[in-house]
Amino acid sequence: MSARMSPDNVVVRSLAQIGDCGLFLLKILAALPRSTRYARETVRQLWFVGAMSLTIIMTCGLFVGMVLALQLYHVLSIFGGTAATGTVVAISIYRELGPVVTALLFAGRAGTAITAEIGLMRATDQIAAMELMAVDPLAYVVAPRFLAGLIAMPLLSSVFCALGIFGGHLVGVNWLGIDNGTFWSNMTATVDVWQDIINGVVWKSFVFGAVVALIAVFQGFTAPPTSEGVAYATTRTVVASSIAILALDFVLTAFLM
Amino acid sequence: MNPSAPIDDVLIRIRGLTTVLGRKKVFDALDLDIQRGKITAIMGPSGTGKTTLLKHITGQMRGDAGSIEVNGENVPDMSREALYALREKVGYLFQNSALLTDFDVFENVAFPLRRHTQLPEVLIRNVVLTKLQAVGLRGAAGLMPSELSGGMARRIALARAIVFDPMLILYDEPFVGLDPIALNQVLKVIRTLNQTLGITSVLVAHELSAIQRVADRICLIANGKIVAQGDPQGIAHDGSPWTRQFFGGEADGPVPFQYPAGDYAQALGFPEGSP
Repeated sequence: MSARMSPDNVVVRSLAQIGDCGLFLLKILAALPRSTRYARETVRQLWFVGAMSLTIIMTCGLFVGMVLALQLYHVLSIFGGTAATGTVVAISIYRELGPVVTALLFAGRAGTAITAEIGLMRATDQIAAMELMAVDPLAYVVAPRFLAGLIAMPLLSSVFCALGIFGGHLVGVNWLGIDNGTFWSNMTATVDVWQDIINGVVWKSFVFGAVVALIAVFQGFTAPPTSEGVAYATTRTVVASSIAILALDFVLTAFLM
Repeated sequence: MNPSAPIDDVLIRIRGLTTVLGRKKVFDALDLDIQRGKITAIMGPSGTGKTTLLKHITGQMRGDAGSIEVNGENVPDMSREALYALREKVGYLFQNSALLTDFDVFENVAFPLRRHTQLPEVLIRNVVLTKLQAVGLRGAAGLMPSELSGGMARRIALARAIVFDPMLILYDEPFVGLDPIALNQVLKVIRTLNQTLGITSVLVAHELSAIQRVADRICLIANGKIVAQGDPQGIAHDGSPWTRQFFGGEADGPVPFQYPAGDYAQALGFPEGSP
């Protein structure tokens, strides 16, 4: 096995990447005050990473809720507890599926787009051109995309949760015949605003948004300026984001529960 | 810089620039003066660090030793703010034009104005159209970069580079891939900008005939140093082996045909001492 491929080398390179990513975050935070003059660019990025992701988020949210209700109904009917379907759908979506699945979809849809765009801007000297026009690319290119990811993720996650519960209602009430009042009253009686919505949806989405956006801009900004380099960077965004989301989900759940 | 000091004829003064990249010494105590208001061409074999030299002048790269004074200020010592202030006075033309692909031609030229000024829209429009007229492409204002030919993209990038009326323009391979008509158009624009606005120009290029038509001075760079310099007519006949090989287009000479490598017979696996 060559030195390049040795496990030690992979570990060291991975740790170095995490360290570089952390330093890059500090640079972004330092650039945030300078990026306030480019507020319009942040709004434009919010449109691209947020509004343009709505279709996939809404569709997936709806089907996740529908599948969840269908599965739960059949399991709960064994114990005669089908009335709890709405509650379990809501808690599962708020606490875990909403933020996690939204973040995974966000990484695949918006994260890859951010990485590819910044990587290509670097490969075609657009980033260098900005630097030579005395426009700080960290403030103009990176910070607005990072902020957009940070803002968009909780909003997308909320939409996912709403559509998920609507999907659960469609299957549970309209198809399988659970009483409408029971479905909603059990849900509202059990779901806790602080525990399930603030801690579950808002905090997790916020953290996942920051992590996905950071990984996406970092991979794009440091991608080798070749087509292969951009392709690898885009892949790394999905892989690293997915691992980070699932690992952080465990950590956050352990701390927030 | 002391504003009362007399204006120096030399806009860029490089002294003892030494840069090592990996195991290669790109610059070895290089000294170079670029005259204010002149068009200076930097020529030399591929891989000798011509583009790297431009990157040093703009502060994109820092050398291991030496000084690079631009308009009296040492670039390696500059803070980020000072460097950005300098860059507002320097235009840079990339080999691939580096136009922003999300914006049309008008917005590409307007980009520095929108980022650095609070000018009203009507004034931005007038400045942009003036610059586009100067490069002969006012009619292309609404086109996207993907709709431009190589020569047109080069001229749009030039319009963007002069939008702040810079004191210095650095051209990195401005003639590569241009047909004779586009090449002449770019040459005309470079010469016109130099004559009408008095802009100092530094050209990195290989096209000798084009350089001879536009440059006031040629500097030949090889082995990390300036090996010859002079006016376009005189330099080709200065008698040095470098100029003889470069301007004569000889395949072998001070710049060897073979990239440095180990023993050929050994590389082919022949035993030592075999015929």
